[in-house]
Amino acid sequence: MSYENTLLVIKGASRSFGQVVAVKNFSLQVKDGEFVCLLGPSGCGKTTLLRIIAGFETLDSGDVLMNGESIIDLPPYRRTMNMVFQSYALFPHMSVFENIAFSQFLKKKPKEEVARKVRKMLQLVQLEGFETRGPNQLSGGQCQRVALARALINEPKVLLLDEPLGALDLKIRKQMQIELKNIQEKLRITFIYVTHDQEEALVMSDRIVLMNEGEIMQVGTPKRIYNHPNSKFSAMFVGENNLLKGTVVKVNSDCLVISVDGLELFANRTINVKTGDPVTLAIRPEKLRITGELEGKSFGNQIRGKMVDAVFFGSVVKYYLRISENITMVAEDRITDESNARSIKIGDGVTLAFTRESLNVFPE
Amino acid sequence: MRKGKIHIFLLLPFWVYYILFFFIPLGILLTYSFWLTTARGLVPTFTLENYWAIFSKKLYLIIILRSIRIAFIAAIICVVVSYPVAYSLTFKYKKMQDFVLYLILISLFSSYLVRIYAWKTILGRQGLINQILQYIGLTKEPLSFLLYSPTAVIITLVFIFVPFTILPIFSSLQNVKPELIEAAKDLGANNFEAFYKVTLPLSMSGVVTGFIFSFILSAGDYVTPQLVGGTTGMMIGKIIADQFGMRYNWPFGSALSYFTLFLLALLVYCLIWILKILKLRR
Repeated sequence: MSYENTLLVIKGASRSFGQVVAVKNFSLQVKDGEFVCLLGPSGCGKTTLLRIIAGFETLDSGDVLMNGESIIDLPPYRRTMNMVFQSYALFPHMSVFENIAFSQFLKKKPKEEVARKVRKMLQLVQLEGFETRGPNQLSGGQCQRVALARALINEPKVLLLDEPLGALDLKIRKQMQIELKNIQEKLRITFIYVTHDQEEALVMSDRIVLMNEGEIMQVGTPKRIYNHPNSKFSAMFVGENNLLKGTVVKVNSDCLVISVDGLELFANRTINVKTGDPVTLAIRPEKLRITGELEGKSFGNQIRGKMVDAVFFGSVVKYYLRISENITMVAEDRITDESNARSIKIGDGVTLAFTRESLNVFPE
Repeated sequence: MRKGKIHIFLLLPFWVYYILFFFIPLGILLTYSFWLTTARGLVPTFTLENYWAIFSKKLYLIIILRSIRIAFIAAIICVVVSYPVAYSLTFKYKKMQDFVLYLILISLFSSYLVRIYAWKTILGRQGLINQILQYIGLTKEPLSFLLYSPTAVIITLVFIFVPFTILPIFSSLQNVKPELIEAAKDLGANNFEAFYKVTLPLSMSGVVTGFIFSFILSAGDYVTPQLVGGTTGMMIGKIIADQFGMRYNWPFGSALSYFTLFLLALLVYCLIWILKILKLRR
C-alpha cells in the first residue's frame, strides 16, 4: 500500500494486560477520508486498539503516527481526534446543547459562534429542536446522534467509533448505518469504526481490518474480504460459508483437484500446495446453484445431493442438502417471484453446481 | 380494597414510628416552649417570653453563633478530607474499596463516647500529641490549647462525623462512570477541567448531603463540647441539655431548641439555594 494521503499510521503496536495479550504487533495505515472498520469477535483487541489511538491506553511497544508525527506521548485532549463511545457517555447533568457545545466552550469560542455550530450539527444529525432536552429524555438512537454531533463539532481529523450502534435495535441500527455512512461521505472525515457485526462492516466501510486474538487476520475491501477470504477464520466470521475438509489430489497449472469425502472438486490455483496436502474449502450458500444435470456441466463443479430441509426466510429460501454421508451443505435461493419458487420437496435428489472461482481454498 | 393500594400498608411501621416518636414529641416540645416555669412548677399558658429570654443575655447568642461556626468549620473539614478519600477509592484504588469502607463502618459503629474519650487522652496535657512534641523537642511546655478549646471540639467532631461525609460522597461518585471522564478528556478537557466540569457536578449531591449531615450532627452535639470543649468550646447543645437537667427549665430549653432548629434549617436552605443558583449560572 502506498503512503500517499496516509493520515494515521500504527506501527507494530503491542499491548498486554497481565497474561492476556490484547493487541499483538499490529500495523496499519489509514488514508485521509477513509472509512475503516476494525472487525472481530469480542475480546479480539479491537476496542483496546481504538483506545490506544484515542490515548486512553498506553502501548507496550510500537508507535502511532498522525501526519507522520508520533502522538503516543500526547494526552487524549491534545489529539486531533474524537471518540463516540458505545454507551454514548453523554453528560447527564447537561442539556443536549451543553453536551454538544462542551468542547467549544472549553476552547473559549464566542457564544454566538458556538450556538451557530451547534445548530449546524443538530441539523446534520437531524435533531433540530432538541437543544434544551436532557440526555435522559432521549431514546437510544437520539443519544447516539447527540454523541456523534458532540464529537463532530470539534472537527476532528479522525473520528473513532466504538460499536456505536451496538445498543440499538435492529431497525434503527440499519437506518443509522446508512446515515453514518452518508455523514462520513459528506464530511470526508476519516472514520475508524469498531464492530463485531460483520454485516455492519460490509455495509459501511471502505476497508475492513479483520482481527482475531489481537492480530490482523485480513485487510481488504468488503468485496474482497467477502469473496476471497484468506483463511478459515475469515471465511467463518464474515458472512455464511459452507466449510469442507479435503485433500489435494492433483495440482494442475491453473487448477487444483481436491477430494472431499470421496467427491472430486475443482478450484482455481490461488495458493501454493502440493499433492496430499490437507486443505479447507469454503463456498457461499448463494454461489451454489440447484440445477438440472445438463446445464450444471458449464459450472465446473457438479455434485449430486439429497434435500433434507428447506427453511423460508422471506426474501430467500435456504436448502439443506446432503452431499455425502457426513456432509450437509446450505444453498441459498432468492425468491424473485412466488410462481418461480422451486418445487423441490424434502427427500428429492438434486444437482448442485458451482464455479471454480467461487470455491476458496486455504491450507489446513 | 383495590389491589394496587395494599402497598400503602408497607409504610405503616414508618408512620407509626415517626408519629409516636418524632412528631408527637416535637409537638410536646413546641407546646412547652410557650409555657412558663415558676416556683410552683410548669404553668400551661401561651407566652413568647421564653423566646425573648434568648435575646436577654448575650451569652446565648454568642454560644449559638459559636456552635454554628464550629459546626460549619467541622463540616467543611469533613468534606475536604472525605472527597479525596472517596475519589481515590472510586477511581484509583478499587481493590482497597471494601477494606476501607469496612474500616469506616467499624469506626462508625464503635462507641461514640469511647471515641471522644480517646481524643481527650490524645489531646490532653499528658496526652499523646504533647508527649510526642516534647520528646522530639518542638515544645518545652505541654501545649494547653490542644484540649478544652474550640480546636479540640472541631478535631473531635471531624473524626466522629467524617464517615457521614465519606459515605454519601463515595456513593455519589459511583454515578460518575469512567467513560464520562474519558469523554470529557476526549473533547479537549485537561484533568482539572474534566474534574471541575464533569466529576464534581455529578458528585455534588453527595457533597451537599455529607456536608449537611456533618453540619447538623456537629451543631447539635452536646457530649463532645462537654468533654473536650471547656468553657471556650461550649456549644448550644450542652446549654439546652442543662435546661432539661440541672436548671429544670423545660420551657426555656424548648424555646432554645426551636430557635436553633429554625436557624439551622434556614442556613441549610440558604446553602441549597446558593448551590442551585450556581448550577444555573454555569
